[in-house]
Parts: sequence; C-alpha cells; structure tokens
Amino acid sequence: MLRYIAKSFWLLFFSVVICCVLYPLVLWSIGQAAFPFQANGSLLTGPDGKPVGSRLIAQPFTKDEYFQPRPSAASYNAAASASSSLAASNYALRDRVARTLGPIVKYRSGARAGQLVAPDVESWFGQDKFQGNPHIVAQWADLHNSLAQAWVNADPKNGAYVDDWAKKHPANVAKWIKDNPGTPQPKAADLAVLFFETFSGENPGKFPSAVTHAVAGGKTETTIEPVGVGADIQSIFFDMWRQEHPDADIQDVPGDLVTTSASGLDPHITLQSAEFQLERVSSAWAAKKKTDASVIRKDIGKILQRNAAAPWEGLIGEKFVNVVEVNLELRKLYGAP
Amino acid sequence: MIIQTWLLPVALMAAATIIAFPLSKYLAWIMDGKYRPLPVLGWCEKRLDSGPQDWKQYTGSLLIFAIVMFIFGYLVLAIQPWMPLNTDGKGMLFPTAIFNSVISFMTNTNLQHYSGDQHLSNFSQIFFCIWNMFVSAAVGFCALVAIIRAFRGAAKLGNYFVDMWRVLVYAFLPVALIFAFIFLVQGSPMTLQSSHNVSTLEPAAMGTTDKGEAKPQNIVVGPVAALESIKMLGTNGGGFFGMNSAHPFENPTGLTNFFITLAMMIFPFALVLMYGRMLGRFRHSLVIFTVMSVLMACTIVWSVYWDTLHPNPGLTAHRTARTYQIPSAAAKGGQLPVTLQAVAGLPVDQYLGNLEGKEMRFGTSAGATFDAITTDVTCGAVNAEQDSLNPLAALAPMVGMWLNCIFGGKGVGMINMLLYVIIGIFIAGQMVGRTPEYLGKKIGAREVKLAVIALLVHPFMILFPTGLFAATAWGLQAISNPGAHGFSQMLFQFSSASANNGAAFDGLGVSYGLVGNTSPSPMAIPWDIATGLVMLFSRYLPIVAPIAMAAYLGAKKASPFGLGTLRDDSLTFGILLFGTIVIVGALLFLPVAALGPVAEHLGPIPFGG
Repeated sequence: MLRYIAKSFWLLFFSVVICCVLYPLVLWSIGQAAFPFQANGSLLTGPDGKPVGSRLIAQPFTKDEYFQPRPSAASYNAAASASSSLAASNYALRDRVARTLGPIVKYRSGARAGQLVAPDVESWFGQDKFQGNPHIVAQWADLHNSLAQAWVNADPKNGAYVDDWAKKHPANVAKWIKDNPGTPQPKAADLAVLFFETFSGENPGKFPSAVTHAVAGGKTETTIEPVGVGADIQSIFFDMWRQEHPDADIQDVPGDLVTTSASGLDPHITLQSAEFQLERVSSAWAAKKKTDASVIRKDIGKILQRNAAAPWEGLIGEKFVNVVEVNLELRKLYGAP
Repeated sequence: MIIQTWLLPVALMAAATIIAFPLSKYLAWIMDGKYRPLPVLGWCEKRLDSGPQDWKQYTGSLLIFAIVMFIFGYLVLAIQPWMPLNTDGKGMLFPTAIFNSVISFMTNTNLQHYSGDQHLSNFSQIFFCIWNMFVSAAVGFCALVAIIRAFRGAAKLGNYFVDMWRVLVYAFLPVALIFAFIFLVQGSPMTLQSSHNVSTLEPAAMGTTDKGEAKPQNIVVGPVAALESIKMLGTNGGGFFGMNSAHPFENPTGLTNFFITLAMMIFPFALVLMYGRMLGRFRHSLVIFTVMSVLMACTIVWSVYWDTLHPNPGLTAHRTARTYQIPSAAAKGGQLPVTLQAVAGLPVDQYLGNLEGKEMRFGTSAGATFDAITTDVTCGAVNAEQDSLNPLAALAPMVGMWLNCIFGGKGVGMINMLLYVIIGIFIAGQMVGRTPEYLGKKIGAREVKLAVIALLVHPFMILFPTGLFAATAWGLQAISNPGAHGFSQMLFQFSSASANNGAAFDGLGVSYGLVGNTSPSPMAIPWDIATGLVMLFSRYLPIVAPIAMAAYLGAKKASPFGLGTLRDDSLTFGILLFGTIVIVGALLFLPVAALGPVAEHLGPIPFGG
C-alpha cells in the first residue's frame, strides 16, 4: 500500500515535469521563435501601426461603410465566447432572426421589387389590427409574455417608464395584485403584459421607443415615447406582419447573416453574404467620397473576390471572406469613414 | 453539394481507419514492453516500477493514483489566485465548481461547469487541464491493457505505474507534439500571456465607457495549441475557451478542423485493433472494429442528414394548421383537441442547413459530423453549438453517449464493447442451449453478473438523476429552452456526465463561476454535486468490474475449440454483436428519446415565448 502511494507520487512528479513543463516549453519555444504571428494571436496592424484586432476574432462594425460580421451571442467579447444556445423550437430564436430581418429585407418581385419591406410594416402597424382584432401591441404582449418582460428589463429607462405608468394607473395595478396574490409587490417586469395592454388601448398604433432629442447646450437627451415608425416597429413587428402576409415575395437573406455563430467570434461570412451587403457598403463609400458608385462597387467587389477562400478549395464548403481583413483593406484604401 | 456534404466525413473515417493499423501495431509493441528506452527514460521507468501486480494490486494502484489526481487537481484550482501566469488576476472557482471540475477532468469527462476564458488562469490551464488531459486518458488505456493481459490468462497483469509511463511518454507525447505543431502553424496561439487589449478598427464599436472613451476588445490568448492537441488526442474535450473547438483560436481553419476531428478518432480506433493484436485475435478485433464503424457511420449520416440537409425548422413555414386529439381525463369525451397554427416562413436562405451555432470556416457538414463523432468516441469537444442542432439531429450525439461503445473513450470504449460482447455471447448461448464461451473460456454466472452490473451503471446514472431533476426546481430553474428541449437539456447533461463525455447543451444554467460572483446560475450547486457523483461512479465501476471479470475469466481453463463453438471472427458474430447493442440500447433509452428530441421534432415549432 505505502509502496503504491510512493510510486503514485513518483508518477505525479514525472508527469508534471513532462506534461506541464517540457511539453508546453517545447511548443512555446517553437511558436515564439518560428511562428510569432500565430503564437501571439494573429494580431493585425491598423493604418496607424497599432494593433486593431486579431484576424481570427470577429469584431463589431456598425457603420454602413463596413461589412458586418455575423451577429454574436457574446457581443463580440473575445474574453467570454458564447453561443446563443437557442433551440430550434424556442420562439426566442425565431424572434431574434425576425428582428434582424425586418429592417433589411426587400421585395423580390412585383411593382416594388428591390424596395424595402420596412415601410409597409410600419403602415400596417399604424392600422393597429392583427388577424382582425384591434391593438397589435396588446396582442404581441399576450402572445409573447417573455418578450414583453425582456423589453422591460432590456434598459433601465424602459423599466422606469413602466414604473411611471404604474404610478399613474393604481387601479390597474391593484387589480393585478388581486389576481396574482403570490406577488404582492410586483416589479416592473411582472407588470409588463398588463402595461402593454393598457398602453396599446391608450396609444393605438404606437409602441414605446427610445427617442433622442436635442436639448439646450448642444447635448442630447433620450426619452421613451409612443412612436408609430422606426427601427423598433420594423424589427419587433416584422414576424407578426409576416404571419398576415405569408405570400409576399421577399428576397431571402443569406442564412449566416442572421444566425449567431457557435463561438460568437466567427470572423467569416459567406461570400454570398458579403455580396448581399455590397450594395450598401459601396453606396455608403460613394456618398462619402462623392464618386461614382458603380466604380467603387466594382473595386470592392474585386477586394471580396481576392479575399474569398473556401475550406479545402471548395471541396467541403462554400467560399467565405474574413470581415476584419476586408474592412481593414477598405479602411486603408479609403480612409476613416 | 453532394461532395461538399459527404467528402469530409468519408475522408475522416478513411484516414482514421488507415492510421489505426500501423498505430495499433506500435501501441501493442509499446505495451508489451519490447522497446529499449533511452538511458534517462529507462531511469525514470525504474523509479516507477513496483514489480508485477495481480488484478487486485493493479486496480488498487489505479484507485490510489485516482485519489492523488483528485488531491492534486483540487489543490491547483484552489491556489489559482496566488499562482504565477495569472496576469488578469483571476480569482478562485467556487468550491462546488472545483469539486465538479476536478472529478470531471480526472475521469476524462471534461464536463465544464466553468468557462476557460473567463475563469482559469494559464497556470491552471497548464497544471490542471493539460496535466489531467494526458494522465486521465492514460488511465483508461491502462485499464484496457490490464484486461487484455488478464484474458491472456496471465496471473500478473504487469505494473500500473510502468504502463502509465509507457502510454504518456511513448504514445501520447510524440503524437501530441505533432498535432500541436499543426495547430500552431495554422494559427492557434502558444504564449504565456493572458490577453491583448486592442482598439477596434471602427472606434467605439464595442461601446464606450462611462468616461466616453472607446472600449477596447479584450482578446484572451494563452498556450492554446498545446492544450488543443492533447485535449483531442486524449478524447478529453475540455476547451481552453468556453466555446471549445468552435473558438477561432482553438480551431482556426478548415484544415485544423479536419485534424482536430481526426485527432480524437485515432487512438479509439487504434485501441480496438491493438486489442486484437495483443490477444493474437486480429480477425476478431476487425469484426468489432467493423461493427463500431457501421454504428459510427449511422450516427454521422443521421446527424448530417437532419442538420445539414434540413433547414432550421424554427425559421421555416409550416403551411397548414394541424389538430391533434390528446387523450385527457379532464376534457369532454376524454379527448382534448390541440391545434397548431400555420406559421409563415421567414425570408432566410437556408441551403447550407441549420447555421445557428455553426462556424463558417470548417465546411458545410463539419458541425454535424463533429457532433456525432465527438460523442461516439466520448471526446465531448464541440465545434458547433449542440443546443441549437435541429431537434432530430441532436439524437445522434445522444445515441453516441447512450451506447458509449462506438469506439468510445480511450480504452473504456473498448471495455464497454467487451461487456456487450459477453452479453451477446451469453444470449446466443442461451438461444442454442450451449455454455457460452469467449476466447475459449467458459462464461460463468459470475462473469455475466459483473458484466451486467458494469453495463447497468450507465443507464441508471442517466435516467435516475434526469428524472429527479426534471421533477424538481433543480432542473426546472436551470433549463433555458421551453418544452421538450428543456427536458433534452437535462437528459443530455446527465448522459454526458455518465458517459464521461463532456459535451453539453450549453444553455443549461450549471455555472457558478468564481467565488464572490453575485449572479451565479441559481441551481449551479446541485448540478455541480450531482453530475460530479455521476461522473465518479460511471467512471470507476465500469473499469473495476470488467477488470475483475476479465481476471476471473482468464484464470479458467481453456476449453478446446469445437464444432458448436461460436466463431468470434465471423460475420454472424458481427451481426449478433450489432443486434445486441442496438436492442439493449433501444430498450434502455427509447422512452427518454421520445420525451426529448422526438417530441420536440413532432411538437409545435416555434414553441413558447
């Protein structure tokens, strides 16, 4: 017994020396001596000579002049990789995809081919009728309680808006408490569905959204107000609009552009997705540079083709481009947007 | 499109099979001690040698060393805040998370209730993760070798410590260096720094701080290439980063994805043939190898068919409303009509299959292929999010864990297969009314009892805790998806723990994080403890019982080969084995499969929300 314990410690000692000291040391030496770029995280250098990111790690781009990477469940935090973990059957997945689609999808055929669907969603929303019944927002909150609650928790301003509303509507809140004796002191999120129901009755065809105003002194101020148009309407209510217009012929958006990657840090999009964004990117640069859009479009198209690669030369997968590298090339070519 | 979809899995199966032949020969040569070591290595080996051991001494040594592994692992994680290579100043994991992680790594499971990039320093990655990845993988390997020697009829099974040394130094180390080199060249970091702060190309795209300054992107790096290679070769599966082999630093290109997938296959493949070579029954091992290959091909085809060749059903149209009559005592007439509304499709081009939770650089079917293989060989690494697989596709990884013998983990997979072999032969013997024999030895009641005990530990350790957690707040407050998929999440976690696999449906809230975390997952502690115990029992019982069984069987007198002896190298035997596995597996797990993935597939999509 003692003998085996002693041998166990010998084994512990030898294995620590070999596996934790020698083995990493050999690889570290090879990496730092022969492959310093890869070994230190494939850092890319920006126009000013400072590192701007890693060629392997996605980073966010918000401006129209840049190609956008896939949505990230990790908010592009390269210190906390994460996937969405949303099951195919989970409505939250469909809702997230629909919200991404709403502002960008276009008609494929018909009189308005090539035009955005979003204005139609807004005007449909303004009629405040869903499947023959009035008050879209109330129906939305009834159908998707968790989304209504998520809205309240998404921003402290939203929560404060509901709290204000609760103060002005003590009778409604009192009735809610009577119906839900388990929650004598409801928080804003608990009241979310009730809030949207009354809100919808008082503001038909409106949804509470953040609106930014200019105030004295050149500063801006953001408040929550009932609005009938804007990004919230286009994204949140696109799925409901779609249910009433299942046959509207809409261009398909490449799948990778609306799905989150496994790591949340996928630096690539398919070439198809890049070409889908090409129109937006090139006209933004054309407006910025005040040059011909078709020339810029051709140039950027060439950059995409040059950067396109495929796993095993296309034998096992589609062509993709590295968003960080392509955008860095645009930045170097055209300057800061 | 056909080539894009199927070339990768075919190439992987072919490459692993081709490598298995020479590698198994080399491994048999090593384990039979026919090499002549360098003087310095020979000196180390002498320090470890405590002389030939019988099966009780061998198993005892294995268990004593397991205790040493537990203590060492716990110590390393507990002292993390005060150790070097911790430039980000990471604190200590919560004690139950340490308990879970230590068992998880010493049992070769690598079920991670923490995130490597958020919670571990480079010190812990090297001295906890890498060390356990080498050593725990070697334990299963040695157990198989001991069983082989027992089957040979030897009273002495060799020496545990010398066997461990041989596996570590002559089998794992050289192969790990080769693979790590490939990953390094392709872009996996290999540094002792912890992270880089970079200002993004578009300033302030990461948001701004309270002072109005642009937030930098914090990029975690470390000795990734070294960890990645042994993580896959040892079928460990515990990622350096939270998202494992999906992370671009662990798996930077389509080429590394091929080698990462191949790395987890080669040792499990080779060990089956090594079994035949060391016993002098190569044809027998070829039959087993073929049965395993067929099963693996089935899981891959299933996974790719349902995930790559089908769109994500959450986004597609369901054109017609469906009404079902559900039997219900409360409803009028005993039938409750339930209507699923028609759903309009979203305008998404899904010709590449379900892309939620997939990375673009690996190839079209890479995620689905990897997901099936990783549980077949009990690796548990992922290069795609399994929680987001199409409902039926998720059955493939689950079946891999339930059967637990489709090549299986290093050594233990082959051991599990032996249990099916014994039971298959026993059933066949009952059918024809002859005393069953294996390797010329008569299988008695004691051997069958030991085999059945070892085999039944697994379903018990999956089904009992899944039921318990599904019925209580422990499970219900941890799941992140509604309906049948929530049940799948719990089922998957315990299947993974019991199979010593380590794959997970990541949405399940099981992570406490560091000590002092103000918002841990509410049910992290019960999950830590329950899965920790499951991993422990499901690891050591199915190692100890088969060694005992092999020792009893091996000690018997060989009976002569007769006309009525079931040939163990024939097609008939292969079909018998295949049937035994499929029938026993189906009897044990069909009910939960119906409650989880099948119910999700047939039920309303989208659901809840």
